[in-house]
Amino acid sequence: MQAGTLSTFLKRGAIWGFIVLELIFFTVAGEFLSLSETAFMDAGNMLLLFKQSAPIGIIAMGMTIVMINGNIDLSVGAIYALCAVVLLDSMTWPMLAGLGDAAIPLAWALALLTGVALGALNGLIVWKTGVDAFIVTLGSMLGYRGLVFMYNGEQPTSHLNWTLVDFAEAQFLGLHTATWFLLVVTAAIWFLMNKTVHGRNAYAIGDNREAAVNAGIRVGPHMMINFMIIGFLAALSAVVFYSESGSVNPNDGELYELWVITAVVLGGTKLTGGAGSIVSTFGGVVAIQLLRKGLAHIGADTSTVNLVIGLILIAVLFLDRQLNVKGKEELKI
Amino acid sequence: MKLRTALAATVACTALAGAAFAESHGGYKIGITQNNVGVDSYQTTYEQAFIAAAEANDMVDTVVLDAGGDVARQIAQVEDLIQQEVDAIIIWPTNGEAVIPAVRKAHKAGIPVIVTNSNIAEQGFEFVASFSGPDNITQGSRAAEIMCDKFKDMGIETEARVVQISGQPGYTTAIERAKGFEDRLPEVCPEVTLVETQPGDWNREKSQKVMEAFLVKYDDIDGVYAGDDNMGVGALNAAKAADREGIIFVGATNFSVGYEAMERGEYWGSIYQSPVDDAEAALQTAIDVLEGKEVPFLNYFDTPKITQDNMGDYTKPVF
Repeated sequence: MQAGTLSTFLKRGAIWGFIVLELIFFTVAGEFLSLSETAFMDAGNMLLLFKQSAPIGIIAMGMTIVMINGNIDLSVGAIYALCAVVLLDSMTWPMLAGLGDAAIPLAWALALLTGVALGALNGLIVWKTGVDAFIVTLGSMLGYRGLVFMYNGEQPTSHLNWTLVDFAEAQFLGLHTATWFLLVVTAAIWFLMNKTVHGRNAYAIGDNREAAVNAGIRVGPHMMINFMIIGFLAALSAVVFYSESGSVNPNDGELYELWVITAVVLGGTKLTGGAGSIVSTFGGVVAIQLLRKGLAHIGADTSTVNLVIGLILIAVLFLDRQLNVKGKEELKI
Repeated sequence: MKLRTALAATVACTALAGAAFAESHGGYKIGITQNNVGVDSYQTTYEQAFIAAAEANDMVDTVVLDAGGDVARQIAQVEDLIQQEVDAIIIWPTNGEAVIPAVRKAHKAGIPVIVTNSNIAEQGFEFVASFSGPDNITQGSRAAEIMCDKFKDMGIETEARVVQISGQPGYTTAIERAKGFEDRLPEVCPEVTLVETQPGDWNREKSQKVMEAFLVKYDDIDGVYAGDDNMGVGALNAAKAADREGIIFVGATNFSVGYEAMERGEYWGSIYQSPVDDAEAALQTAIDVLEGKEVPFLNYFDTPKITQDNMGDYTKPVF
């Protein structure tokens, strides 16, 4: 057996092992503690799990690329809210309102376009100024949130369209609309990262930016494209979610960046860049939602949920570090 | 390495187990999803009172959830409660419109929904069994009565002049509290004039500025009506800074700052809204709906008057 194979296997498999552990725990604990007569592993409950994972999950796919790149995007929550405002408000504009339900795809397109534009702005600043993405997107997080508040003050922006709600609540082959979006996005980003030059470049840049420059990769435009992708995905997440709910509070999507980053890190992506996997991010997203759902299922006090997620995140990072140290030691032999 | 893996797994497990608590026995299963426990003490006290009321009642088992102010999480919680086949769902909406589709889902699943504290938008009314909460109009009209009674005591009910500081424009609560006051005042004290109304946006500093402007503009102000005590105390501070005495301050919801100012004799009265009553009313409404009793669609709980005269009967508000 090659040195480090076991630790690589453990690293890759850790998140899935954790999910299995959660499932077993909540199934057993649910028998004793839950008020519900239905089992935790009930098919309907598991389908809901994927549906509820979608808002964070769709953004997490974009965050994985950006983090593999060695960057980070803190503005996703604000982009999410701003695109939701554009989506719901645009349907009431006189130009679109006259179209009836034909306005829906146009509103979607406008929201997605907004997301891409905001992401492109982030990317352009990172590219042209060379300022760290953390600082740039910290600024844009505040700035974009400011725009949300300027749009409608403290008031929610609302437009309830039952056609839209029915579409978002629909189930095709048993899966909810939101789940389909999550699955398609995961597949598309997996393909991008594993089967295309762009994906391989992303890993190369994150691993060693100078070497990537020397190898002739145009790092600036590459990063800008990735910021546009995550902007698009944040908008898509808003489109999927707000098609169903029809009203956005100006503080919606706050802290989403942290949940997204938590999911990505749980999935094993390095904060320093160069390593990470889309499939594991999917595992990280599911693990967090499973934990939330499970704790609610067994009647845990809501305030403990965040505490538990925090503890587990630290445990996972600790484990990960230990495994990596071991791997390096063994390589030297 | 194995040991470390085991160790990490144990940490996770203990954390999970430690978080778990619940009891299960027969009766009605009622789920509640609250707006944002912990953001203010009204909501925190509400949750404690709700749990206490549920525990005291052998007929009900409750699933108590908190959306943390996040609409997405609240919708997910409603879906989970439907999935768990609870008998009734109580919801404190994070957003009066965004939760309508989720409420419709529960309605379609045959689960009665009770809205608590603040109502959802009208489009969702057909999917709701009952609303349990304070009546803002009554709060406003009772504040008018408090003020009028005081003017009568002082013998100035024929010439008193009043200004109003209202809540944030566009908020139902603000509109209704203003309407209740404006409609009731001419009925009880027809000769008292409401000279001007300006919004204080639920904000103490903003209200202080509004009051400063009023004091400059009007030499004779006998009463100030504020949408809540927070704004009322802001106005009081402005009057104290300008050395204007003898003004009667009345709010539409009693806060601890207002209660303290009443103890000092600077603030006349307000309306007492207890989070404990709010929580108990919500649970009772849910039980009544499940028992098939006739429940009014707008099921208000009582919010009594509190003034310097009777404040001893009430404990200081927690918020």
